[in-house]
Amino acid sequence: MGKEKDLKKTALYEEHKKIGAKMVPFAGWEMPVQYANIIQEHLTVRNKAGLFDVSHMGQVFINGKEALNFLQKLVPQDISKLATEKAVYTQLPNIEGGIIDDLIIYKLDDCKFLLIINASRIDEDVKWLLSNQNNLDVSIDNQSDNLSMIALQGPLASDILVNLGLTKENHPRRFFIKKAKLLNIDVLLAATGYTGEDGFEIIVKNEEVCKLWVELLSKGEKFGLKPIGLAARDTLRLEAGLFLYGQDMTENTTPVEASLVWTISKDKKEDYSGKDKILSQMNQKNESKRLVGFKMLDKSIPRHDYRIYINNEDSGVVTSGGVAPFLGENIGLGYINTDKPTAIGTKIDIMIREKLHPAEIVKRPFYVKK
Amino acid sequence: MTTDMTKVLCTKSHEYFIKEGKSLKMGVTDFAVEQLGDVVFIELPEVDSSFKKGDIFGTIESVKAASELYIPVGGTVIEINEKVIEKPELINNDCFGEGWLIKVKDFNEAEVEEAMTYDEYKEFIEEEGH
Repeated sequence: MGKEKDLKKTALYEEHKKIGAKMVPFAGWEMPVQYANIIQEHLTVRNKAGLFDVSHMGQVFINGKEALNFLQKLVPQDISKLATEKAVYTQLPNIEGGIIDDLIIYKLDDCKFLLIINASRIDEDVKWLLSNQNNLDVSIDNQSDNLSMIALQGPLASDILVNLGLTKENHPRRFFIKKAKLLNIDVLLAATGYTGEDGFEIIVKNEEVCKLWVELLSKGEKFGLKPIGLAARDTLRLEAGLFLYGQDMTENTTPVEASLVWTISKDKKEDYSGKDKILSQMNQKNESKRLVGFKMLDKSIPRHDYRIYINNEDSGVVTSGGVAPFLGENIGLGYINTDKPTAIGTKIDIMIREKLHPAEIVKRPFYVKK
Repeated sequence: MTTDMTKVLCTKSHEYFIKEGKSLKMGVTDFAVEQLGDVVFIELPEVDSSFKKGDIFGTIESVKAASELYIPVGGTVIEINEKVIEKPELINNDCFGEGWLIKVKDFNEAEVEEAMTYDEYKEFIEEEGH
């Protein structure tokens, strides 16, 4: 009981209560898990647009002349090639290549980068960043407690911003970030998200987020915009084949094992934490497990921690699983030992309540926006 | 058809049963359904299987999680509701009617007596602070 009292509340907490959100603990925060019906919320984002409070997530600014050099030592992506205002998805590997966190880095200018990190990992990440600061001319400015973030996601997200007075020419392109004014409020507007849809993540001071939230919901109403809780956020990200830190990757998985090879810059010259392990796994293909996506071939639902069987042998574990409401399938992500086949089309079984249920390895992402 | 709620008896684990002659019709309560949200999968036992009171007789899954179903009164399953397996949303729409789960015979009358009336069950939920 005492623990629940220690939960942090976002600046939008009272707004969520007002519109009847069901609140649950998540990563140390009391967050809206659903406002109405999870499946309806999911479909609203796929078909129209949804608004999410993701203020629990962390924002860390890396400032200074050596900001680029500092980040280059920490991530497998080659940040030196990043254009101003461009974003990149990457990870923070430890020296063994294990993923401390996954994150998006936004280049604001040559001497200023923004890191958006997972709520559950803010303390660990900041500790890691500080321990790598050494004598570099760089400051690590954790603004997580002062900034809020709301995500506007779905095919009508852009129209809603136009309706709010921000003309299309002033929207950031996909995977870019821009300084903008919404309702005369200064925001950082990023065309990124965690749903598989086009949309925006809006970073704004805590004091100003309520006005923006309320006004977005009201102006967006005629577009069908609805507030969306964490439960639908989870089904949306899974359907889009996106990973959840703490489940689909941890400090015990490398980016190669997590099938994130596409996010590793092969020709990056600089050393970075975990590089030896990551490159060796990538070049020799000697990782012992590999993340795959699968779909069930019967009506059963895979869940986190269920075992994966191949030819009646325990061969891996489900890390995320559930229903894919838009696709009408039951899907999952999991790790399979690489002494077993992991190719697309491989028939596998999921152990559910002591019975094997048939599934098949399929291409990710499960859902691709039209 | 609306259910006569005075005939509905409930357990603390949120299952209900209704006596229908020599058998009991069983399901999950409206409160359980509200807590679960959309039911997306249901697993029921084979006909002829027998359970003791409190045994797990099936699984109900919502978008969020899987929950076990505990049989409110022991007995032998004589019928399962095939329709809810095909359309689990029937449980959301009408848990006491079309969304029933199993029918059981050979039950112990004393176990029937132990259950709460629906009114008592509602009080129980309030006391639990739900």
